[in-house]
Amino acid sequence: MRYFLALACAFALARMALAADHGPVFSYATPVNSQGELSFDAGITGRYGSSGTQFSTGSGFGYGLTPHITLNAFLPATFGTGSYPESRIVSGSEWSAGASWRFLHSVTSVGRRTESTASLGVVVPGPQRDFGVLGSLHRAPGIAGTLATGLASRSQYLWVGGGYTRFAEASSDRRPDTVSWSGVYGYRPAKLRRGYDQWDYRGFAELTGEHTGDVRSGGAVLPNSSSTTVWLGPSVLAIFKDVAIEGGVQGPVFRDVSESVYGREKVRFAINFSYLKFSSHTNSH
Amino acid sequence: MKKTLIAGILAISSLAAHAEYQEVSLTVFGMDCAPCAHAIHVSMKGIQGVQTVDVNLNTGLVSIKLAPGNTAALRQFNEAVEKNGFTHKDANVVVRGTLSGTASAPFLEVSGTKDRFALAPIASGSNLTAVLGKTVIVTGTLPQAAKGKVPDSLRYKTITEAR
Repeated sequence: MRYFLALACAFALARMALAADHGPVFSYATPVNSQGELSFDAGITGRYGSSGTQFSTGSGFGYGLTPHITLNAFLPATFGTGSYPESRIVSGSEWSAGASWRFLHSVTSVGRRTESTASLGVVVPGPQRDFGVLGSLHRAPGIAGTLATGLASRSQYLWVGGGYTRFAEASSDRRPDTVSWSGVYGYRPAKLRRGYDQWDYRGFAELTGEHTGDVRSGGAVLPNSSSTTVWLGPSVLAIFKDVAIEGGVQGPVFRDVSESVYGREKVRFAINFSYLKFSSHTNSH
Repeated sequence: MKKTLIAGILAISSLAAHAEYQEVSLTVFGMDCAPCAHAIHVSMKGIQGVQTVDVNLNTGLVSIKLAPGNTAALRQFNEAVEKNGFTHKDANVVVRGTLSGTASAPFLEVSGTKDRFALAPIASGSNLTAVLGKTVIVTGTLPQAAKGKVPDSLRYKTITEAR
């Protein structure tokens, strides 16, 4: 029982600081659920390139334990083809769980706040195998940590963040460690700074990057299996009260990937739907 | 018949003495988007006795109107803001309560809640001797208190005897 509880808590962490409901679709951001808020995300992400298209659909759950701590779980499923490097920005086949803690939170004026959020979680292999090189590896769980900081206001948003994921070894195989980072700028035009009972729109420019280490297979390092990529693209978030829809697309601006190991990835895209169930409960009378 | 009459008199007298918040307006800090405002709206509406909630995202102003006879306490409004990760500045209130203490050190007691405030005038003070011990309607400002706390004083603008 304790094992399952730990696993459940750990699960909640992996996608943690990565966007969904309140923020950008690819990048790390700081928002967490309010106390008692239940959030449900469902979306699809895709990676298109020379070796085909790889899709990942996923369901994410979040629960606001306190105003600043949220438990998360993310359970994706993959389909399609494509042999691309490990990515923690675009979800793969790993299930994950963990917690996000907004440890810095400054709200000193109307419509503006600055905050920092750290997340820690467990990533475990899902029931499906990956594609290409990574699909042939024995898989083991890993841990993922992220950190994001930035500001949110009625007109502008700015967040920077980074994350690190490390997998354990299984039968002398090991998935590559992944370092990922992001910077995102968001803007809501004056005409769209409307009442909360109307659709709320904002646009983002998202810059993300990832470096994946060497793949270990059978105890040996697979030559040229490390990769570094940087991606840039727009995304749009639309929210009406407790429902959010967001979508974005990115193209590569830097790519150091061996095409003898991986396919040439050209486009990343994502669409996400969120439902937010806010709590009306207050403790005291 | 006698019992019904007594019950009726008691009901009328308790209604006459009832104290409650009638309006509460808070300037909330940190709300940047529609879900933030919606979360505040849902939280405020969850407080028993709240009739209407209006949230203005651009000014941060949250205006609440309450039903007669409610027992909502100020702490609940504070919690509704804090649980969503926000803070608020002063709260402007229209509150009905009983004036106690003395003319020089008056208190407002909001029966049905544990709220009790020392009264201080915003501008020049009025002579409160005539309304001591009576049910009054006070308009004024409750200063921002530390997180989880309720202020112990109310800076009043007007005090009128409730009719």
